[in-house]
Order: sequence, then C-alpha cells, then structure tokens
Amino acid sequence: MSEKNLFCYLMVAPALFLTLILGVYPMIDTMIISFQDYDLLTLQSGGVNWVGIDNYSKILADERFVQTIWQTVWMTVLAILFSVSAGLLLAQIINVNFKGRGILRTVVLSPWFVPPVTASAIWIWLLNTNASPINQVLMDWGLIDSNIRFLADSTTWGPFNIPMLSVVAVRSWNGLPIIIIFLLAGLQSIPKSLYEAADMDGAGMFQKFYHVTLPMLRPVLMILLALLFLGGFGHFEMNYVMTGGGPRNLTNVLAVWTYQEGFQFLRYGKAAAASGIILLMTITISIFYLWVESKDNRK
Amino acid sequence: MSDAIIQSAPVWAKPTSRYSDLFNRALILIALGALLIFILLPIFWMLKSSFQSTSEVHAIPPSWWAANPSFEPYVIANKIVPLLKYIWNSIFVSASAAILAGIISCMAAYVLARFRFPGATLILVTILLTQLIPPITRVFPVYFLIQNLGLLDSYSGLILAYTGFAVPYAVLLLRGYFQSSVPAELEEAAMMDGCTYFGAFVRVILPICLPGIAAVTIFTFLLAWNDFLWASLLLSSGDAKTIQVGIGGFAGEGGGGRYPNAFMAACVASTIPALIMFFFVQKWLVGGLTAGAVKS
Repeated sequence: MSEKNLFCYLMVAPALFLTLILGVYPMIDTMIISFQDYDLLTLQSGGVNWVGIDNYSKILADERFVQTIWQTVWMTVLAILFSVSAGLLLAQIINVNFKGRGILRTVVLSPWFVPPVTASAIWIWLLNTNASPINQVLMDWGLIDSNIRFLADSTTWGPFNIPMLSVVAVRSWNGLPIIIIFLLAGLQSIPKSLYEAADMDGAGMFQKFYHVTLPMLRPVLMILLALLFLGGFGHFEMNYVMTGGGPRNLTNVLAVWTYQEGFQFLRYGKAAAASGIILLMTITISIFYLWVESKDNRK
Repeated sequence: MSDAIIQSAPVWAKPTSRYSDLFNRALILIALGALLIFILLPIFWMLKSSFQSTSEVHAIPPSWWAANPSFEPYVIANKIVPLLKYIWNSIFVSASAAILAGIISCMAAYVLARFRFPGATLILVTILLTQLIPPITRVFPVYFLIQNLGLLDSYSGLILAYTGFAVPYAVLLLRGYFQSSVPAELEEAAMMDGCTYFGAFVRVILPICLPGIAAVTIFTFLLAWNDFLWASLLLSSGDAKTIQVGIGGFAGEGGGGRYPNAFMAACVASTIPALIMFFFVQKWLVGGLTAGAVKS
C-alpha cells in the first residue's frame, strides 16, 4: 500500500468506525429485530424466532397505531408550514439594513439556546388550563367564555385537535431559529442586482418575493424542507415531554410510540417494526428530494 | 426592502402601488409583532416566574410581574435537584464529545476532501446515509451496545454516543469547508518543503481551518447539551445525570407542581451555559453551520 493510501485510511478510520458501530450497525440490527419475535418473554426463554412480517401486520392492524402514523405526518406538515412561513418573513426582515437589526436578530434566534426539554417545561406551564396567561388575556379581551384546555381538550375536528395544535406551535417555536439561519444564508447569496432590475420594472413587494426571492431560494428551501421532514418524522422530545402522546392518543407520534412500546412495555419486536415504518417514511422523503434535485440539475 | 420600492418605483406611473405597499407594510408589522410575542412570551414567563414567590406563581389570574423579586427559588431548586452538579456533568460530557468529534471528523473530512483512494466514495456515501436515519430507529441496538460495554450510567457511554452521532454531519460539513476555503497549493508547497502528509495536515491545514472546526465543535456541544433522549436512556440512575435529565426528573417528581418558581429557576439555570456560548460564537455558528447548503 502506498504511503498516501495508508495515511488516508488511518485518518478516516476513527470516523468510519464510529459511523459503522453507532449508525449503520444499529439501523441494520433494528431492521432484523423488526422481523423477529423479540420481547422480554422470548429473551428470557432464550428463543428468539423469525416471524416474517408478523410484527408489521400486527401494528398496522392496530387502529391507534395507524392514527399515530397520520398524526406524525400531520404534525410534521403543520409545523413545517407554520415555521417556514414565519421564518421566511423574519429572515427577510432581518436581512434588511435598519437600526436595531442586531437586537431583532438576537431576539428572534433566542429560542435556540433554550434546550427542547426546558422549552417544553416552560410551555407546559404557559399552557396550563387555569394558570395560562394566554387564557387570561383572551378572557380579558372577551374572545373566549371559558379557559381553553390547551393540552387536555380531546374534542377533534377531523384529524385536528387543540393539544395537537399546541404541540405543533411549541415544536415550531423550537425549530424557528435554525430555519431562519438557513434562510438568511440563502437570502444573502441572492445578487442585489436582481432586486434593482425588479424595481426598474415597478414590481411590488409581493411580486419581488414571488418572482425573485422564492425562485432564488429554491435550492436552500429544498434542502431545508428535506431536513425538516426527516427530523419531523422522527421527532421525539417535545411530544414525549409535553403530552406523552395523550390525551387519548391524540398527540402521539411514531417516535413516542416506539419508545413506549420498547422501554415501557418491552416489546422490542413491535417497537422495531414501528421504527421500520419511520425509516420507510424518511427514505421516501430522501428519494423524493434526490429526484427533485436531479431534475433541477438537468435543466 | 419596502424602502427601496418607495424610493425607486415611479409613483406617477403606478398611482395605487404606494397605498398598497403601505397596507402591506402594516400587515407585515402586525405579523412581526405577533411573532415576536410568540417568541418572547415563554422566555419572559420563565424569567419572571423564577423570581416570584410560590403564591405569586400560583395566583389566578396569573401575575405578570415579580413584585418582590428574590433568588430564593434558585436556592430551593438547588436543594431539590443538585443543579450545579448536573450542569457541570452536562458541560463535561458535551465538551468532551465536542472536542473528540471535532478531531475525528476533521481528520476524516480532510482526506475525503483532498485525496482519491480506493473506497473513498463508498465511505462518503455510508456517512451520508447515516444522516438520514432518525435517532429513534437506532435506540435499542445502541442501548444494548452501551450496556454490553458496561458503560451505562457513566460519562464515557454518553460521550461515545454523542461523538458517534455528531461525526457524520461534522464530516460532511467540514469536507465542504476544506473544499471551498482551503487552496490545495498550500499543502503541496508544504510537502515540497519536506513535510510528511501528516505534518502538512497538522502544521498547515489545521491552523487555517480553525473557524470551520470551531463551528463543528460548537454544533456538537449544543447537540449534546440539548439532548434528552439518549441522556435519559443511558443515565437512568446515578450521579452522572445531565441537566436535561435533571429537569425532566424535576417535573416528574412533582417539584414542578409544588414549587413552580423553583422549577422555572432550574429551567433558567439550564439555559445559561448555552446562552453564554451563543453570545460568544453567534457569528461563527451562523456562517459555519450552513456552509454546505449555499453555493458561494
């Protein structure tokens, strides 16, 4: 082996080793478990059997699990819709030069240094039915007659309900800073001359946004959306801490379901099958992203 | 943005555009105001609650200001959970993982950016694919792996896990950084002068790449600092708990109900180290984290 190749392998070895044992091996192992009859009982009796797609058909026959899949998708879509539109507005405002811009930027990015668990804890307190200052203000203004039960109301409208929207709002709050940073980086790469040309044509604010900003932001938006969908489908922390899936399973998502099935009920086979479903969803998103990307590049 | 329109658009040519722009500006200001309240309310609420007395926090209707601000909630919080110890644990674990991940990913990213060697593409694709796996799908095997290594409830297990999870992203980010901002002639010149491959890397490349490496290190630190899932799994008991697990436990023990002010004080304490980091590194982080996403 040449000196150069030896050097390369030595340099890459630690990173590759960590990636293999903490990334690739766990994923393959989870997939294997998902086709096995793997729970506390079978572990103790020492016999873990292959059961084919049994775990998958069992969980998919469970109405609550199917509901959980849909909720995972809906919550991700809603959080992305809300936080990306808010991010687009805020990033554009911060991108303009004005007095107080630095302060505004720091304020807008401030949720970044509040860890997700802490954020959930604060929001639980803010959304507490009786102690909520939001309810107080809405009452004072005469907008509501009785306190909104932000995290406990189990009335549903189609796939939506109040606790779900509350958790979506908190997830958006938490995700906003990183979205703004991506969009700011994207906005700063747009040449000023394009806006000057649009000014000459007498374009208004929304026209400029629609015809200049959005098309130029497309590459950044695409990778951002892909990352947000990947993260959103596997989202765990805020759902787990804020509601643990309740009330009546209405805010449950796949990651929380997996965690509870595995670490509370110790049914690893079924939990692994649920992970398999998450993986299938993220692979779909990745393939879709690569397809769009390659179509864009061919143009 | 709207300033530019009003100055340069010929008003006589489009008489309505000025009024509709004013209307749009008003709309934008309202939306901005609503968003700012949304962003700041939790932070304000946490801060003011952490200085209030228990009865003030429990008051209905809620009181918006601490009448007699005191540090007592912080003292109570530190009695219920050992805040300082947990914060120190968090700092130790996060910093160790950040430094390890910085070194390991920097080495790999450099050769993957600069050299062609058999298997390089395969290694790169493997690393890229790992990025697509949600953490929850590897929870069980990683848990059993750490258990089999005898590293449950220890700093080392958690440091190993965080380093491993951060490395793929860090490699991809730094690889882009090496490609875009370090000219290849530099190490060629160093090699001409008799440096070995490793010598050129350490003496020439590392010093120039410090900003990129700093961004990756900070990214890993924050990732580890903010994590709850792995810390709560791998540190189920014992003294090694991180602050996130401490906060989670505090809420669970009913402390959040009896002493909400102390609970909020614990929350404030948990944000401070990250906050200090944030102010020091804001600029680096903003440019560094997205280096790969935007073609310059």
